[in-house]
Amino acid sequence: MIVLMLVIPVTAAGVLALARGRVATAVHALATLLMLTSGLTVAARALRGVEATAFGGVLRVDALSGWMIGVIVLVAGLAAAEAPRYAHGSGQRMFYALFHLMVFTMLLAVSTDDVGVMWVAVEGTTLASVFLVNFERSRASLEAAYKYLLICSVGIAIAFVGTVLIYYAEAVRQQGVVEHAAQGLRWTTLLALAPALSPRVLQPAFVFLVIGYGTKAGLAPMHTWLPDAHSEAPAPVSALMSGVLLSVGAYAILRFKPIVDAAAGPLFAARILIVLGVLSLAVAAAFLWNPGNYKRMLAYSSVEHIGLVGLGLGFGGVLGVSGALLHVANHGLAKSVVFLLAGRIRAVYGTVELSGVQGLLRALPVTGRGFLLGMLALMGLPPFGLFTSEVMIFAAGFGAGHVWASAAGLVLLVIAFGGLLRAAHAMLFGPPPHVAPTASGLSAVPMAAALAALVLIGLAWPPGLAAALELATRAIVR
Amino acid sequence: MTAITNLLAFFALGVTLVLVWRQSWRGRVHLFVVQSILLGVLAAAVGGLARRPALVLVAAIFLLVKTWLIPRVLMRMAAGAPLRPVRPGRSSGIPVLVAGGLVVIAYVIMLPISTLPAAALPTHGAMPLAFAMALIGLFICVTGRDALGQVTGFLVFENAIFALGVVATYGMPGLVEAGVFLEVLVVVLLMEGVVVQMRREHDSLDVDRLQELRG
Repeated sequence: MIVLMLVIPVTAAGVLALARGRVATAVHALATLLMLTSGLTVAARALRGVEATAFGGVLRVDALSGWMIGVIVLVAGLAAAEAPRYAHGSGQRMFYALFHLMVFTMLLAVSTDDVGVMWVAVEGTTLASVFLVNFERSRASLEAAYKYLLICSVGIAIAFVGTVLIYYAEAVRQQGVVEHAAQGLRWTTLLALAPALSPRVLQPAFVFLVIGYGTKAGLAPMHTWLPDAHSEAPAPVSALMSGVLLSVGAYAILRFKPIVDAAAGPLFAARILIVLGVLSLAVAAAFLWNPGNYKRMLAYSSVEHIGLVGLGLGFGGVLGVSGALLHVANHGLAKSVVFLLAGRIRAVYGTVELSGVQGLLRALPVTGRGFLLGMLALMGLPPFGLFTSEVMIFAAGFGAGHVWASAAGLVLLVIAFGGLLRAAHAMLFGPPPHVAPTASGLSAVPMAAALAALVLIGLAWPPGLAAALELATRAIVR
Repeated sequence: MTAITNLLAFFALGVTLVLVWRQSWRGRVHLFVVQSILLGVLAAAVGGLARRPALVLVAAIFLLVKTWLIPRVLMRMAAGAPLRPVRPGRSSGIPVLVAGGLVVIAYVIMLPISTLPAAALPTHGAMPLAFAMALIGLFICVTGRDALGQVTGFLVFENAIFALGVVATYGMPGLVEAGVFLEVLVVVLLMEGVVVQMRREHDSLDVDRLQELRG
């Protein structure tokens, strides 16, 4: 089943590279449905505690992988539903093919047990998405793609240094016998060996890994590519990048953390993640007060939320990690909906400048209301799920004695909240321009479902969610 | 094995330092090729002495990609650019000084790791050298004023990291090595596409012109 889940998007990408016109859209729809079915099946099984492996253990889906797979396919499904609005004309084949290729690389990154394969997969996400960032082929999108490619390639190469050092640590433990290098190093092996690995190698290794994968995750100060790439990419790609690609980077860090904790004590990794988390919140809060461009505003809001995830992972414990995982899911759903709606707003208003958009609620009732709800969710207000996960993260912080970091995080969160509120107010109210509302109604159903799910997570957890989250957390916290 | 890896890594570091000093684009590409040959031979030597045929194969592919394929693309990229210095009118004394400082930093970071008592790898002496090359590559990349300069820096960085992988692990699994090559190739090819488009739109490769996205 894991193999099937991975084969579907690759095959789809291959077919879509050749198909065109309506056939392509039909194939895209079919591939999306198959991806959702297979992904959710794999995720559901894993989240009930059934581990699955394939290819002699190279692919392994435990509850944590299952959680990530679930988030990826749901966000990809949302983005795929909007993709036909953007994929037309000469770029259609490239758009659909790279879209599914990107989904494949993300799914591979979270469903492999091999340190090296995960590195290759995360690198693949950059290669698959860089052309999509430059899809509009304007000056600004070219600049964004160039920055994205260069910064993320350097970042991923730094993560390679970290991976090499992990291998080296294993070679040191074996007193110079480098047998694992030939066959690959597994999480499961590493976790078992971790207490015997040298902390003097693992500490710098973790620093390189955090810088490298943190670049992908968009943690400040490695976030500089993010606002450009997220604001220049077409909306479905922004949704994918912001909603799940960042989380895949965070997932990579999360996988290494228990190994470093076991070898070098729990405080080392925690301190790094907390500092980067607070820094990300600070960078985002400072920018959100003067955004100028609403897609950039959403991109910086992603920096804010990835900072929160970093804080949750840093605070650690069952509460912190499960709060971070829940936040990944919540943010994925909320941010992708808002990015997709921002794409529609841009199509109608013809600008991404904040000053050019007002009266949204009256001009585009459906889109406007959706945007309002999504923004409220992103601000972390109840009854949306993000409120719940933020409470969990900060409860873990205060509980674990990180009082200053938690307090600083809360203050920055309030500042960011104010900035977002101001911008959303300016966009939603005011005199509406004379624009004709485009298609809505039926096409808004997937997004409405996502918002409904967020409310459900915020108010009363659906049956099974608590158990699933617990299982996913237990993959990291013993 | 210790002697040969140390010697090759040391020469490669020397070439990297000369690369920082050289300003002509063509000269830099030639130096990059020399560095690649040294590191390819290093990988082949480790593979041969440690009896790892896979690593010898990787070294062969590395030499093919880095000394033939990528320089060809680089020259094609540079074809339209004037043969001027990378940074006209600026002495290269300070960059070389900084690069020297980076070598010291590399030793400070890597020496405690590579000389762990239990580390019986005969190649450990080359680890700080490879890491120093990586830092210098990063430095060239960050300070590069145009797209070509940044690509050179990235390639030097990537080469050094390959060397670090070889001396620290005797070669990563085949799939990972393939991923590394794929990344370098795609990055260079994408960069060529970007450079072509940039030249068409801006009539220059100066990244200072890329200033539309701020904040």
